[in-house]
Amino acid sequence: MKKRRLTRFLFTALIASTALCGCAKKSDGNTKTTAVTKTGTPVTYTALYPREVTTLNYLVTSTILDHRIPANCIDTLVEYDLDGKIKEGLAAEWTYDKAALTWTFKLRDAKWVDHTGAAAADVTAHDFVDAMKYALTPEYESASAQNLFGVIANAQEYYNGLVFNGGADDSGKIWAPIDFSEVGVTAVDDHTLTYTLAAEVPYFLSSLVYVIYMPAYGPQLEELGKSFGTGADKMYYNGAFYLAEFAPQEKQIMKKNTLNYDSDHVFIDVLERIYNAEALTLGPEMIRRGEVDYAELTADILDDWNNNEETKKLISRERPKTDYSQFYCFNFDPQFDASYEPANWKKAVNNENFRQALAAGLNRLKSVSVLEPDSPDTYIINSITPIKFTYNEDGKDYTEFNAIAALGDTYDEAGALKFKAIAIEELSAAGVTFPVKVLMPYNPEIPNWDKESQVVEQQMEALLGADFIDIIIEPGPADNFLTEVRRSGKYAFMKSGWAADYADPETWTDPFYQEKGEGGYKPGYKYSFFAKAIEDNTKTAETVTEYFALVDAAKAIKVDTNSRFEAFAEAEAYLINHALAVPYSIQVSLHLANKLDVFEAQYAPFGVSWMRYKGMTVKDHYISMEEYEANRK
Amino acid sequence: MKQFSYRHNKESELMTQMEAEEAVSMPEDELFSFADFNAADAEKTGLSNYSYWHSTIQAFLKKKGAVVLLVLLAVLLIFTFIQPYLPNQYDPNLIINDPGGMQYRNILPGERFILGTNSIGQDLWARIWAGTRTSLLIGLSVALAEALIGITVGVIWGYVRKVEILLTEVYNIIDNIPNTIILILVSYILRPGVRTLIFAMCLTGWIQMARFIRNQILIIRDRDYNVASRCLGTPAVKIIIKNLLPYLVSVIMLRMALTIPVAIGNEVFITYIGLGLPVSTPSLGNLINEGRALITSAALRYQLVYPTIIVSFVTISFYMVGNAFADAADPKNHV
Amino acid sequence: MVNYLVKRIGRSLLTLVLILTIVFCLLRLMPVEGYFPNFEKMTPEQIQIGLDEMGLNDPLPVQLVRFFKDLLQGNLGVSRIYRANVLVVDILADKMPLSLKLGSLSMLLSLLVGLPLGALMARYRLRFFDKLGTLFIVCIQAVPAAVYFLFIQLYGTRLLDVGLLFKADDPLYWVLPAISMSLSNIAFYGMWLRRYMVDESNKDYVRLAKAKGISEGDVLFKHVFRNAFVPLAQYIPTAFLNTVIGSIYIESLYSIPGMGGLLVTVIKKHDNTMVQGIVLLYACVGVMGLLLGDLMMVMLDPRISLSGKEGDR
Repeated sequence: MKKRRLTRFLFTALIASTALCGCAKKSDGNTKTTAVTKTGTPVTYTALYPREVTTLNYLVTSTILDHRIPANCIDTLVEYDLDGKIKEGLAAEWTYDKAALTWTFKLRDAKWVDHTGAAAADVTAHDFVDAMKYALTPEYESASAQNLFGVIANAQEYYNGLVFNGGADDSGKIWAPIDFSEVGVTAVDDHTLTYTLAAEVPYFLSSLVYVIYMPAYGPQLEELGKSFGTGADKMYYNGAFYLAEFAPQEKQIMKKNTLNYDSDHVFIDVLERIYNAEALTLGPEMIRRGEVDYAELTADILDDWNNNEETKKLISRERPKTDYSQFYCFNFDPQFDASYEPANWKKAVNNENFRQALAAGLNRLKSVSVLEPDSPDTYIINSITPIKFTYNEDGKDYTEFNAIAALGDTYDEAGALKFKAIAIEELSAAGVTFPVKVLMPYNPEIPNWDKESQVVEQQMEALLGADFIDIIIEPGPADNFLTEVRRSGKYAFMKSGWAADYADPETWTDPFYQEKGEGGYKPGYKYSFFAKAIEDNTKTAETVTEYFALVDAAKAIKVDTNSRFEAFAEAEAYLINHALAVPYSIQVSLHLANKLDVFEAQYAPFGVSWMRYKGMTVKDHYISMEEYEANRK
Repeated sequence: MKQFSYRHNKESELMTQMEAEEAVSMPEDELFSFADFNAADAEKTGLSNYSYWHSTIQAFLKKKGAVVLLVLLAVLLIFTFIQPYLPNQYDPNLIINDPGGMQYRNILPGERFILGTNSIGQDLWARIWAGTRTSLLIGLSVALAEALIGITVGVIWGYVRKVEILLTEVYNIIDNIPNTIILILVSYILRPGVRTLIFAMCLTGWIQMARFIRNQILIIRDRDYNVASRCLGTPAVKIIIKNLLPYLVSVIMLRMALTIPVAIGNEVFITYIGLGLPVSTPSLGNLINEGRALITSAALRYQLVYPTIIVSFVTISFYMVGNAFADAADPKNHV
Repeated sequence: MVNYLVKRIGRSLLTLVLILTIVFCLLRLMPVEGYFPNFEKMTPEQIQIGLDEMGLNDPLPVQLVRFFKDLLQGNLGVSRIYRANVLVVDILADKMPLSLKLGSLSMLLSLLVGLPLGALMARYRLRFFDKLGTLFIVCIQAVPAAVYFLFIQLYGTRLLDVGLLFKADDPLYWVLPAISMSLSNIAFYGMWLRRYMVDESNKDYVRLAKAKGISEGDVLFKHVFRNAFVPLAQYIPTAFLNTVIGSIYIESLYSIPGMGGLLVTVIKKHDNTMVQGIVLLYACVGVMGLLLGDLMMVMLDPRISLSGKEGDR
């Protein structure tokens, strides 16, 4: 008896003391000085986020999620204003020497601060050089290093030289190591930076607001090497904000950098982001209680919120983005499991009438309405390039050029059935079995893509007949979806997307175009594997060769923007008219509850500007749809 | 010595009666005849009319609550399987379009759709029944597989002495592997699907059943009736099947009944972490997780409430029926 | 006793080695693409360099040996993807305390509520309290945890007038997560204690005690409880140590930066070193829990001898 009592008492005491002494322990002493507005209390902007960044090292990661912190904490040479025009950033002025293909930038004075907001060093031109050297070091595995190949002189040569060290690569080309001084980036003095290009690049200036061109403090890079960017104290900052606290899976806190040259235009003192895996579920509830300043509203609850007077005025949207386009791809090099009949699919996809039947049979309005119940038609586009993406010197939008303007809605029920009839005739003669299995994977982590796929499957099979096509929807792996599904060719017909890297129509040919090398066609970005049709010499080989030729011709025009646009427009129209891809929609801008006016932010069709909070003010209420529309004007 | 026994008294009574009858006088050959010798009859011993199963069922029926639940559960099960054949039922995956061609999103329960629709226009009533079918199928498969493997291994482990030490060591090692890890890893490496789930859950479950059976066998292995059978030369297999297993049936059934709610719970967990069944296979786990996202909108909560009710009901029923049955099957409770 | 302990520990170590080996091999079954977060943008040369560095291009036995050698030196390696280039040990040490604290609190709660619940249910068997208790237990076990946790969070926070998300310094915020976590354990302890107590009550010595005239209550709490508690005791150290692992549901709902969802996250991210580190932790916890549980049983019940066969519970 006594023994039991004693044991039990001791045990309880043990537990209790552990719990209590734990409570008494205070958390780390991370109290920093906060910049304060005139009224005295710091302006805070709180939001939840459901996915954590993989690293803070902006020189190696190309994941968009990881770019938000550097976007706000590191200044780039140039910046964009509210309307999308380039203005000065860290560079106060710049000149371009055409003959030497060299850009020269004059930097202003700026300081690096550490995670407490205290000055640590000066920003110099050497920081840009050192950062680029770091990115071009294979040891650090930078995923965005490829952006520099072919743009900055000798960047690729330097990189491959280190990798192969005088040896040969797969195609037999020898890469000898060269010294970094031969790469086209130099610091003439502390405040003068030059970039020498490998070839004429008309859009170079616009591509500078991207992580690969960001500076980093040289000596710190040297010292930390791989552990650069592994914590808030392992980086320096020179932007509008600095990262005060970073606890992965917990929170990210950015504070206003008072030492920034433009700090007068920064109106938020603290950016507080709290990690919560259920952000999509809890966010709306927290908005109702006023506990956060931002939450994403999914299409599921939108109807309900719209019906309720109180919640209706909390809804607004993101600023429409024109740098991301979605389209359906046909795969010409199927690598999927034999049970989905890849050989059969291959024969079918090489028949243009078959592709046209599918393209005309996709009711885009219906499937986009899964994500955008209110006005799906405003998101549908008839070209791969979004509207208002880029303009020529006269201000004419690229999509207004004849070839693209002539494209109409691809959805055509009668037309689809006609194409189907012809396709059946031709394909049966070729020995294709019906129904043709169409493997259409989706990424289960992207909200509502699974629902969208079901809608597409049922709609297309209802129209074209389940005896013609049998669409099979399959969830792919949530992580590394693109690698394991699209890049490995494990799909037949699938929705894909592309984000523009620079302000020129050429960027929209990147997914499809494959460069011809010595040993054959290079794989490119691995979307549709067009070159396989050429290699196999199928019926589509001619069409694809023609398309590549059109793109080559367009790329060659470097000077006259009008002709350049014309040529690219022709190539794109050709792509769509021959059903080599099916245009779909631009990215549906999310519905949000937000205390910020999204139109006060920097605007650029690409790069990291859209993530920047500089210039925005936190309102005391959530923006409603009326206000949003008013702000848009 | 005079013996005072019931039988002795009866004998004397009979003798007296016979002598009395004899006074009526019959010829000897009519008085006596050869008794038949029936070998089978000679083996008969006293027979009581106690039937184990009969008493079990009677004891079970006394628990009104469990009986009611069992009936309801049976009705549910039957309905789950006949539901697709009833008239006016929608296919669970079919997206239902209104006359304008757009899907019927988030319609509240009403005349058109008994339990409403989800956000892409699929009928929730059909989905819930399809989901219940899938989840029950998974649960039953897991229970059966676990039982088969567990019993086989457990019996061998408990009965055959030579193997015991080895199997105990194996058990001790395998038991320590945390279930969650195996569940997650297996679901991740093999693609998510019904078979993967069943496989993963069986992997983690059979060992407990085996141990349980083995413990029970250890207890009764050396009971007299078993020792007697062994002495009589009954082969081991026969002993196991005829002596040991019937004793264990009740506890086996209890464990099987409890496996089903556990399997459903595991399925909900795996779906929660994103490794669950694909969307084209509705299951209770899928439905609950989809419904959770809508919990903050009062009007849409029905998409969570109905699947939860079904899951809760199934779980409660299996628990209570299983427990009641186990209680009833315990011979100590047979009056 | 010492002999037994030595054997047990030896066996546990063997188990640990086996578990680690199995998981190690399973992990190497995963496709190569998973190791690189930016796989699609990397050149094949970069990929090869990366694989070499991680030692993945070496044959499996070599990798295994190297892993165990490192382990013996206390080096669990560096996380590659979850938090690039940070020591695994650091990450774990960072997250464990919070899960441990929360878990201890909820364990305390579940013992303080669950044990009396079970005992009282056994005392007032088949009467109103028992039925009420059974209803409670059944509801907890029937409704999926994911659902009632969310309900508790939504309504509880309104009731207590606290924010939805967890704040470590304010004690009021600990209430809801701790209660949520303890509910299923309360149901567990209540149910099993009641059952064991009822079973014990059927035994002869209880009949004797009643025949001697000891009151029902006294019999239950002085004799039966102590005996019935013994088989439960073996689960307590395991439950306590399992709190280290955290609860994935609760931690995602309340934004608690503990160990909860860590395992799932790192498996999905193919972060081998982290998975191995966490598996090692889980396995140690499990093994230690079992050992302590058995020791507790022995301490509590002198009839049980360790070298005997394991009980029938």
